[in-house]
Amino acid sequence: MPLTVLIALVVVGIAGVALLIHTTGLSQPRRFTTEAEARAAWTREFPLTDITGVTLCRSGRAALISTPTGPGVVWPMGADSTARWVADGRVTRRDGGLTLHLSDYAAPTVRLHLDPDEIALWAERIGTT
Amino acid sequence: MSDQITFPDVVQLAVPFFIAAILAELLWIRVTGKGGRYETRDAVTSLIMGAGNVTAGIALGFIAWGFFMFLWDVTPLDLGTALWVVLLCFVLDDLRYYWVHRFGHRIRWVWASHVNHHSSQHYNLTTALRQTWTYTFTFMMVVRAPLILLGFHPALVLFCGGLNLIYQFWIHTETIGRLPKWVEAVMNTPSHHRVHHGRNPRYLDANYAGVFIIWDRLFGTFVPELDEEKPDYGLVHNLGTFNPIRVAFHEWVGIWQDATQPGLRMRDRLMYCVAPPGWSHDGSRETSDQIKTRHLEAHPKERGTPGF
Repeated sequence: MPLTVLIALVVVGIAGVALLIHTTGLSQPRRFTTEAEARAAWTREFPLTDITGVTLCRSGRAALISTPTGPGVVWPMGADSTARWVADGRVTRRDGGLTLHLSDYAAPTVRLHLDPDEIALWAERIGTT
Repeated sequence: MSDQITFPDVVQLAVPFFIAAILAELLWIRVTGKGGRYETRDAVTSLIMGAGNVTAGIALGFIAWGFFMFLWDVTPLDLGTALWVVLLCFVLDDLRYYWVHRFGHRIRWVWASHVNHHSSQHYNLTTALRQTWTYTFTFMMVVRAPLILLGFHPALVLFCGGLNLIYQFWIHTETIGRLPKWVEAVMNTPSHHRVHHGRNPRYLDANYAGVFIIWDRLFGTFVPELDEEKPDYGLVHNLGTFNPIRVAFHEWVGIWQDATQPGLRMRDRLMYCVAPPGWSHDGSRETSDQIKTRHLEAHPKERGTPGF
């Protein structure tokens, strides 16, 4: 197969599949609707954790996990989720919430969608929980 | 020596089939409401990884090809290209695939390349295309050396490897449940390969087969899919990014960070490169064996069941 044909096929193929998936409504990120759901998502990643508290943000797009060994954050990854400890993280403010910066190449930043009254609480807890 | 043998690049020729099959699977899922899940960013990442894999093959393929042709010049054997030779090569190359794949899960240096194939939390036909960009750097091409030294032409060996990859495409689906018993007994199937992609303790490090599941049965790594335990797809610790660059290189970065941290013995630095994924010098992480052990301590009744 000529390289130009292969490139065109790949580019059009990826764009077409992406467009079709998106237009059929499959781009909506997951939302945690309950603390139990967020807790389960955290436990899926770190099953040995002794969880002492779960703070679910109103948008449902992240939850802060409190543990005796420090805080963690669980958040949606597309239709699924992932989680990280945040002991070595730092937060910066932005419109609509905070950005959590982690020293993890596989999870470098987490955009936390928070209401204005949640921002200070989350910033404080990530730093001191 | 027959140096001028050529075979078609079957993986490139299969690209239109890949795209058509993905569209058909997506349509099936949307119409019937069952048979798997799709999500836009996950699928796009997988497809870009697939395109990158083809690109890496074009850009770096000369390294493996040069190595293979060196071996071909060295060997006095030439089996030719008769049909039986092609069939035998296909079977032996599948055995080769089994071991490379097993190394890919048990040696971190090789896992660094293979991990991205497991980094999706979905299991659909796009997942099949989420392939490595860094295979050349694992040096796993050496596992093909015996085939070439036995007299299988490098072009034939690569042709069989391409067919093997194409076979594995269709088994990355939840739209197919289980196939007739004789098929499940001999061939790698969607059911067997779903197990391989499961992050459940029971399913870790199982079903490495490419085409023939008999290798897993033979070497003791076969685990059947249990109706009562659906595979949970993805990595033990899932990625927090859809960036293809980070997907492709994150484990290599992890190896570098681990092996270069201060205060380690040389042996520990080496182990961070070649020990099973999850190994750590201070025991702060878990390998798959340790995950299974911990699971059995919490669920002792599962001891002796498949995967344990």
